[in-house]
Amino acid sequence: MTDIHLDHISFEYGRREILSDFTLTLPGVGVTILRGPSGCGKTTLLRLLAGLEQPRSGRITGVCPRETAFLFQENRLLPWRTAEQHLTDVLPRDRREEAERWLALTELTGEERSYPAALSGGMCRRLALARCLALGGRLYLLDEPFAGVDPQRASRIMTGLRALPAPVLLTSHEDHILSLAHRVIDLDGPPLRVL
Amino acid sequence: MSLLLPPAFWLGAWQLCAFLVDRHVQGRGNELLLPYPATVLAALVRLGGTAPFWGTVLASLGRIVAGMALGTVLGALLAALTYLSPWAHRILAPAIRVIRATPVASFILLVLLWTGRDRVPVIIAALMVLPVVWENLSRGLRETDPQLLEMGRLYRFTRWQMVRLIYLPSLWPYFLSAVTTAMGLAWKSGVAAEVLCLPGRAIGAQVYHAKLYLEIPDLFAWTAVVVILSLLLEGLLRALLRAGKGGSAP
Repeated sequence: MTDIHLDHISFEYGRREILSDFTLTLPGVGVTILRGPSGCGKTTLLRLLAGLEQPRSGRITGVCPRETAFLFQENRLLPWRTAEQHLTDVLPRDRREEAERWLALTELTGEERSYPAALSGGMCRRLALARCLALGGRLYLLDEPFAGVDPQRASRIMTGLRALPAPVLLTSHEDHILSLAHRVIDLDGPPLRVL
Repeated sequence: MSLLLPPAFWLGAWQLCAFLVDRHVQGRGNELLLPYPATVLAALVRLGGTAPFWGTVLASLGRIVAGMALGTVLGALLAALTYLSPWAHRILAPAIRVIRATPVASFILLVLLWTGRDRVPVIIAALMVLPVVWENLSRGLRETDPQLLEMGRLYRFTRWQMVRLIYLPSLWPYFLSAVTTAMGLAWKSGVAAEVLCLPGRAIGAQVYHAKLYLEIPDLFAWTAVVVILSLLLEGLLRALLRAGKGGSAP
C-alpha cells in the first residue's frame, strides 16, 4: 500500500480546534504507533482517516475509508451476540471459518459461546479487536486496542498484528509494546502536532 | 405464599365490604349492591357449566386478539415510517396523539355508524393499541444506541443486519412494555364496545344484559372472566415473547 498523506488538515469540534493545518505522512506498511497524551487528537486523526469525520480544510490521500477496518475507542459490542457471532456477523459467508483464527490471535479460544456480559473488560476489548481484524481491509485503524489488556498478552497480540498483510495504525499509551512497532510517532496537542 | 397474599387480602376486603353493606341494608337486596365473593363464584361456576358461556368467551377472545394484532402491526409500521421520514412524523404524530386523547365512547359510536356491529370491538381495540405501540416503538427507535448504529454502518452491515442485529434487539424491551400495556387497554375498550354495540355473542353483551336484569352476581362473574382472560393472555404473551427471543441474549 502507498503512504498515507495528510495535507494541511484542519478540524474542529464546535469551537475547539483539534487539528490546525496539520501535515503528516504515515507509512503504508507495518505497524505504526501514535503516542500522545489523552485528548491531544489521536482519536480524531483516526476518525478522519476512517471517513467518520470530514476535515474543514486540507486533503487526505492514500486511504479509502471504505477499505479500512476501524477499532473504536469503545468496544461497541452487541450484548445479545456471542463472541463467535460477533465475528461471523462481519465475515463474508464463505470466510466464516476464519472466526476461529481471529479468536485465537486475540487469545479468546474457548469463549466462542460467551456473551459480552460474561467476559471481563480486557476480554471484551480483545473481542472488539478480533471483530475488527475479522472485518479486514487495506488499512487497520486501531484506537487503544490494548486498553485493559495485560502487558504480556498485549505483546503477544502485537506480534500477531505485525504479521497482518495490511498496514496497522494504532494509538496506545502502553510503553511495553512500543518496541514491537515498526515506527512510533509522538504527538501532542490540541491542536495536534508531531513532536 | 407471597404470591397468594395480595389476592387473599383483597378478597378479604371484598368480603368485609359486602358484609358491611349486607348489615346496612339488613338483608334487603344486598346482592344488588355488592354480592359476596362466594355468590359471585357460584354464579361463575353456574355460567361456566353451560355451552353458550364458552362460545361467548371464545368469540370475545377472538375479537380482542384480532384487534390487538391489528393495532400492534399498524403501530409498528407507523413507528418505522415516522422514524424514517420526518415528514411522515410531522403529519402522523398529531393524528395518533388525537386518537389517544379521544374518548373511547366517541370512537365506539362513530365506528358503529360506519361499520357493522360485529367489527366495532376489533377496530376499537386496534385503535386503542395502536398509539401505545407506536409511542413505545418510536421511543425505542429514537433511543437506539447511536454508537452501535455507527459501528454497524462502518462494519458494512447490510440493511437487514442493521435491523436484525441492532434495531430489533434494542426495541425488544419497548415492544414488551407496549404489548403488555396494550393488552389491558384492548380488553377494556373491546368489552366497552361490545356493551354499546351488542354484537352476536360477546362478553360485553352479557355484561349489558346482567346490568339490565339486575343480575349483579353475573355482572361480577363476567367482569372476573375478563380480568382472568386479560391476565392469562398477558402471561401467555410474555412467555411467547421470551421464547421468541430464544437464546440470543444472556
